[in-house]
Amino acid sequence: MDDKTSRRRPYDLPLPLPPDALRRGPLREGTFPSSLHEPRTAVVLGRWLGAALLTCFLTGLLSHLLQQPPTWLRDHLPSRPVDGYRVSQGLHVVSGTAAIPLLGAKLWTVYPRLFEWPPARSVAHALERLGIAVLVASMLLEVFTGLLNTLQWYPWPFPFRQTHFWLGWLATGGLLLHVAAKAPLIAAHWRRPRPGLAQRRAFLTAVTTAAAAVTLTTAGQSVPWLRRLDLLAPRRPDLGPQGLPVNRTAAQAGTTTAPADWRLRVDGPRPLELTMDQLLQLPQYNSELPISCVEGWSASAHWSGVRITELLDLAGAPNGAGVRVTSLEADGPYRVMDMPAHYARHPLTLLALRVNGQVLTPDHGYPARIIAPNRPGVLQTKWVSRLEVL
Amino acid sequence: MARLLRTTTALAGAALIGYGIYGLLHDPYITDPLDVLVWAVGGLLWHDALWAPLVCLVGAYLARGPVLRGWLIVAAALMAVGLPAVLRSGEDHGNSSLLPLDYLRNLLVVLAASAVLALSAAGIRRWLRRHHRHRVE
Repeated sequence: MDDKTSRRRPYDLPLPLPPDALRRGPLREGTFPSSLHEPRTAVVLGRWLGAALLTCFLTGLLSHLLQQPPTWLRDHLPSRPVDGYRVSQGLHVVSGTAAIPLLGAKLWTVYPRLFEWPPARSVAHALERLGIAVLVASMLLEVFTGLLNTLQWYPWPFPFRQTHFWLGWLATGGLLLHVAAKAPLIAAHWRRPRPGLAQRRAFLTAVTTAAAAVTLTTAGQSVPWLRRLDLLAPRRPDLGPQGLPVNRTAAQAGTTTAPADWRLRVDGPRPLELTMDQLLQLPQYNSELPISCVEGWSASAHWSGVRITELLDLAGAPNGAGVRVTSLEADGPYRVMDMPAHYARHPLTLLALRVNGQVLTPDHGYPARIIAPNRPGVLQTKWVSRLEVL
Repeated sequence: MARLLRTTTALAGAALIGYGIYGLLHDPYITDPLDVLVWAVGGLLWHDALWAPLVCLVGAYLARGPVLRGWLIVAAALMAVGLPAVLRSGEDHGNSSLLPLDYLRNLLVVLAASAVLALSAAGIRRWLRRHHRHRVE
């Protein structure tokens, strides 16, 4: 992979050549016999991997904004399309999974470059290589933590969500820096050379097949028509209590038994308290909405219950008011959830009392839970005890 | 124009990296950013000093022929994605809807199915080559 196109720049300080005696082991020429350690293969794989990384970054950013919107954005988040988060987060996990074989193949292709001689020709070259280290380290950690998070497995000492978010910036920044540094090389190998290399075609076919294989055997956790091939994903959308997976169980949240004197408190200009019987006497509506988890799985269900907008009207809430929802659970980062006005006023948004024709089980949020369109699953608060007009 | 685009991309990349580092250092939930650094460098070492040399050795000395190599690539990808589920599914995590399948059986089934496909591909290749040679003679 000769970088013939890079020119010496006046501001780029050349570095002295290290003594040749240090050039041992893999640093010698000809250590890697395969003819596929070359730029065209790297460009083809880099395009796919770059597309996967950008997809992950953008969908991840969207997920972050939906989960934790900054104040200026809070009232502008869309409640449509109803399936929006299901698609975007499903895509996040699908492209992250497909990136695993792509990353492996790309790194194998350029592996001999790790031992290029001299290790750094100039200051700019050293910085470029440092940027590659940032890119590779953050991408390896991103796919590793992302994959294990879908299994709710956390063997590392740092918090998953925040670290995964910040590393996404490092990886994407590293990608931009890498593309800028390699631009002439990428441009020179953008088109397929003729005649093509049979070995390269075989290698790329194998990598595509590998990416397809991991996608087909896991994507069924969010893509309904791939469900029958869902063999390796940590979830199956039809398996769980009441035919629906659960992210956090009632036992984990300490809400297995609801208090006998449970009442829904609605605080607002005209505060009120409603027993389960009173809630059931209010008009009941049906919504077909998915639970879409940040871990990538999603499952659609038929919910029925009271419209949040009608509860807000009963409490005398003004039209533009949002609502704060509090759960019975003792702790947990999503015990209290804020819902902006246009989600709360959406006709599909319910305080659900039943799912698929049955009373909610504790794992699905008995006595009552929130279900709203186009929101991350962690914001579909379960075991609701209180609504508060904001 | 191309040069301007290249410089802008590089600056944007550096800015994103800077923002990411700032975030890692200042996030209230990440109490010890050094942990992240240790795991990031650990991942780099694991890949560059263990995994990649192993793959290069297997590729250069053990795995001959495009079909075996191709199958090993597919199998490695399936193992990378499936093995964590296999390792984890034995644990009682108190949630029956998490890891509800028999992952060891499924992984073996998928590996076997891909091996059968690879063997058929090899068979077809050989048959085509022989066929072709006959015609040439």
